[in-house]
Order: sequence, then structure tokens, then C-alpha cells
Amino acid sequence: MKLHRIGAVAERVLRQNWHDKRVLVFMLLLPAIAMLLFGYSFSGDITDVRVAFIDEDLTDLTESILENLQDDEAFNVTVLESVDDPERLLLDEHYQAVLRIPDKFTSLYYAHFAMGVATSAQGTLDLTLDESDPQVAATVRMGLADALMDLGEGGPVDIETRELYGVEVRFIDSFAPAIMGFVVALISTVLTLLSVVREKVDGTFSRVWVSPVRRAEFILGYVIAFGLIALVQSLVVLTIGKTVFDIVINGSIFWAFGCTILFAVGSVGLGTLLSALAQTESQAIIFFPLVILPSVLLSGMMWPVQAIPRLLRPLTYAVPLTYSNRLLRAVMVKGLSPWQEPVGFIGVLVFVVATIALASVVLKQSAGERE
Amino acid sequence: MSDHAPIFHAETLTKRFGALRAVDDVTMEIDRGEIYGLVGPSGSGKTTLIRMLCGLAVPTAGTATLLGSSMPSERRAVEHRFGYMPQERAIYRDLSVAENLLFFGQIYGMSRSRIAERTRALLDLMKLSDRGKQRTDKLSGGEKQRLSLACALLHEPEALLLDEPTIGLDPALRREFWDHFHQLNSDGRTILLSTHYLNEAEWCDRVGLMQLGRLIAEGTPDELKDDATRRSGQDSPDMEEVFLILTRDAVVGGVS
Repeated sequence: MKLHRIGAVAERVLRQNWHDKRVLVFMLLLPAIAMLLFGYSFSGDITDVRVAFIDEDLTDLTESILENLQDDEAFNVTVLESVDDPERLLLDEHYQAVLRIPDKFTSLYYAHFAMGVATSAQGTLDLTLDESDPQVAATVRMGLADALMDLGEGGPVDIETRELYGVEVRFIDSFAPAIMGFVVALISTVLTLLSVVREKVDGTFSRVWVSPVRRAEFILGYVIAFGLIALVQSLVVLTIGKTVFDIVINGSIFWAFGCTILFAVGSVGLGTLLSALAQTESQAIIFFPLVILPSVLLSGMMWPVQAIPRLLRPLTYAVPLTYSNRLLRAVMVKGLSPWQEPVGFIGVLVFVVATIALASVVLKQSAGERE
Repeated sequence: MSDHAPIFHAETLTKRFGALRAVDDVTMEIDRGEIYGLVGPSGSGKTTLIRMLCGLAVPTAGTATLLGSSMPSERRAVEHRFGYMPQERAIYRDLSVAENLLFFGQIYGMSRSRIAERTRALLDLMKLSDRGKQRTDKLSGGEKQRLSLACALLHEPEALLLDEPTIGLDPALRREFWDHFHQLNSDGRTILLSTHYLNEAEWCDRVGLMQLGRLIAEGTPDELKDDATRRSGQDSPDMEEVFLILTRDAVVGGVS
């Protein structure tokens, strides 16, 4: 094994990708677009729900309820003087919720606490809610509960929440690691597959094979090239995640990059492996959906594995991205070390070792050395 | 390894693909300093024979020896000493001319300065000097072929295996290629090449005629012509006629 030959293969692969501006743009834009597109469309945070707020009590307490609601990005609060028929506001003015605080709400509220649970005359809020979109309705209920809970001491229910793994993990925070794994796997697999098939078609493979280059050096060259590309792509995802979505990274960036690169190595192996099944570039393209679809649908990238029907769930364990997602989420969101998420870590390691070993066998056969 | 040992040696060399005998019981020796031309139609086994001699294909039976090393098992011992030009042009289409040469030089362990030196010399020889920075998919067919030959020559191998090096070239360019071959040959390099242009056989030191995987005739161009004249009574036949006469008379077997 000679470093200069590994370096030669890596340099060549990088030069090839550098020259093909379409590939280069694709390589850098894909992580950016994926992060922005998925980030915006799946951010899961509902914002700007139109809420009409009518305060007939006008006390400090009701004032703070209003402030809490206004502070919540989920709501676009309009304060109205009075209301006759809240339902008409929903129908005619297209409010999604109408919250009316009746006169004497505050005094009843405090009286309730002063006298204990026994009293029946507690403060009541009057909420009219558009239930046609259950997600919006749920947001209103949650937001209102939050607003009331934030009133501080003396609240009706005392819920003490322990928030594990970060102050408040939003969908986008746990989505960024999945995007990183997905983009890196996609690019490494697809470009390795195309590149190796092209070497077979163009005959450069034969030339490399009669040269002093060993199979291991060839594979390592690809691994280094795509490892570096994966690093750049991870940087793109994290930069956009941080600047546009302000994602929370609780763990070490070092581990995040390390695990992503590890996953890229396995993907290079997978691409080489698939190259054995294709004789031409158009045949190779047939494999693209095979790589993409299971990753998107079954890896727990878009929705948790628990949301996948039980019958299909065993399949998720056959999708490499499932392990990468577990590993990268553990490292980035939970701030753990890789080995503290053994299923993900070992899964990715097995993926790497298996594909690289098989890739080596496959290359031997592609080179025509088969008996 | 003595100087008298043949550079290329096939001994009852056979390659079967299923029922097809691509190369059928071929025995041949090529000595140092020869230009040996394998001549025959497509599918006659020339490519497979060359691939076995450079270790890319494993013989079904018999042995292939290159520079005294049995191929493919001992190919590591001689991998620096021979150059191979595959039938496909075998250059990276998304790299420039100079980058192709850089890569093939690097994998042979050449230093960057040595590669630069050789690149200048070869591009000059191949009349590609103004093409160094050009991406190869922008080159003409003839230019690609010249680059492909340059890639095989870069590390200054003593033995060359060239599979259809002149295919698709116009007659003038073919002559130029042959001038290169004779120049390389006069430097003491041994060349095994295949062609299906029969007139090119005239320019070889020795010619092997292949048909359906078998080596049906072998000798200098003059020997083959004499042989053909003896068999047919035809006076001074050209190579095309020689080929027709010798293949007609060959006892063809093997393909079942």
C-alpha cells in the first residue's frame, strides 16, 4: 500500500468533480437546497395563527395573558374591543380562534385560589376555535396553555417539566443531522457509482488495473475524495442550519463531522458495490431511486420510525440512513459520544466494513480477474 | 532473466467464455525488439489474447508470460515495465490532457517534475502541445487516440501492448502512428499490437493471423506472402489476399 498512489486516485477524483461544474454545483447546492426546503416545509412550527383577543376584564393578569400570547410566534393577535358573536368572527373575518376574557375573570381566578379547590366559581375563559385544521387547533390549545402556565405562581396547575437534551428541541434541530446524513450518502453513493461505471465503460479501469495501483488503494482514494466532499457538505448544512434556522447543536461538532465522514465511507463502498450491477451509465441511473426512496421513507428522517407501520418496521433496519440518523441525532442533538448510541454507531460501522469489503470483491470481478 | 528469454510468451493459451473459445490453444513467442502484429477480424480473439498477456484476464488453460513473469499471478513483478493501451481510448473525459498524464504518471510513482518533463516531450511528439489544458471530451478522435498512446508510453515501459491503436484513424494519421512505433522500436522497445487493417501487417517484423480464437499462421510479412503464393499459385499477393488465402485454407475448429 503506497500513499502516493492513494493520493493520486483521490486527487484525480477531486479534479474530475471540480471540472464538472454541474456536478460541483449539485454537490454544494444539494445540501443547501435540501436544508432550506425541508427546513422550511417541515419545520413543524405553525406560525401566524390569527387570534382575536377580547378583554372585558382589563386587569394586570389579563394584560399578561395578552403579552404572553403576543410573544408567541405561533399567534398573530388582534385585540378587539368587544364581540357579540364570536362565531361570526371565525366565519366572516377568518380568525382561527377567538379568545374572550369575561368580566370578573381575575377576581374569580384569585378567589378560587384563596378558597381552595372546593369552590365552583373559578375564572373561565371563553375560547371559540376553528377545528377544521386539527394541527392549527392543537397549536392554539398548546399556546394558550403555555400562556396561562407562564402566569407564574399561583397558577391553577403546577407542572414542572424537565426538558431533556436541550432547552427546547424543535423539529428542525433533529432534522439537520438527518439532512446531513442523507445528502452525504446520496452524493457519495451516486457519484462513486457513476464514476466507477464510467471507468469500466471508458476502459480507464483496465489501465489502472495493469498499473501498480492496488484495489485497496483505489478504494481508499475514492474514500478520501468523498470524505473531503462530505466534510464540505456537512459544513454547508450546518452553516445554513445555524444561520437560517438557528438550530441547536448540543454535542460536539468534531463528532458530528467524524460520524458524517464515517457514513460517507460506507456510502462510497455502497456505490462501488452497486457498480458491479451496471454495465452502462444509464443502467447505473436505475439504482438512484433504490438509494433515495428507502432513505427518505424508512430511515426516520421525516417521521419517527415509530410512525412507520409495524409490518414495515423491520425494513427500517435494512436502511443505512436509519443508523446514521440515530448516530448523528445522538451526537448533535443529545450531545452524546458515538458509543453512547450503540445501535446507531455499530450499525454505521457494520455498514462501512461490509460495503468496503464487498466493494473490494466486486472490483476484483469487474477487473476481469475472475476465474 | 536472460536477455534471450521472450518478452511475450503464450503456451497453449486458452480462454473460454462459456461455450465460446475466445482464444484457443495459442502458442507464440515474441522476442525483444520485435514489432509483432496480431491481425484478424473482430471477434478473432486478439483483444482477449492481449488481456491475458497483461494480466487482465485469467487463462482457462495454458500460460501467459510477460517479461518472464507468469500472468496474472506474478504481474506485480513486472507491472512497472510494460505499457498497455486498451481498445477503448481509456482516458478520463472530465480531466484535461495534462491531468490524464499526471494521474497515470503518479500511479507509476513518477515524480511531478519527471511527469512534467515527460508530458512536454510526449505532447510534442503527439502534436498535442497546445492541447495540454483542454478537457479530453473536447478533443477530436485522433487527438484522443494520440493521448491514449501517450498515457501508455509515459512511464517509459520496455514492452508495449497496444490493442487496435490505429482504429478509426485516417490514413495519414495511421502512418504517423506507425512512425512512432518504429521510433519506439528503434529505442529497443518490444511492441505487440493488434489491428484489423491488413496493410498495417506489412509494417510489422512478424505477423500472427488470428481467426476464431486460433493462431492460424505466423511469420514475417514475406514468409506469409510466400506461403500464400505456394498455396494459391497467385503471384505477389497483397496482405488482404494473403489473409483470404490463409484463412480459407485454415482448418477451423473449436467453436461448438
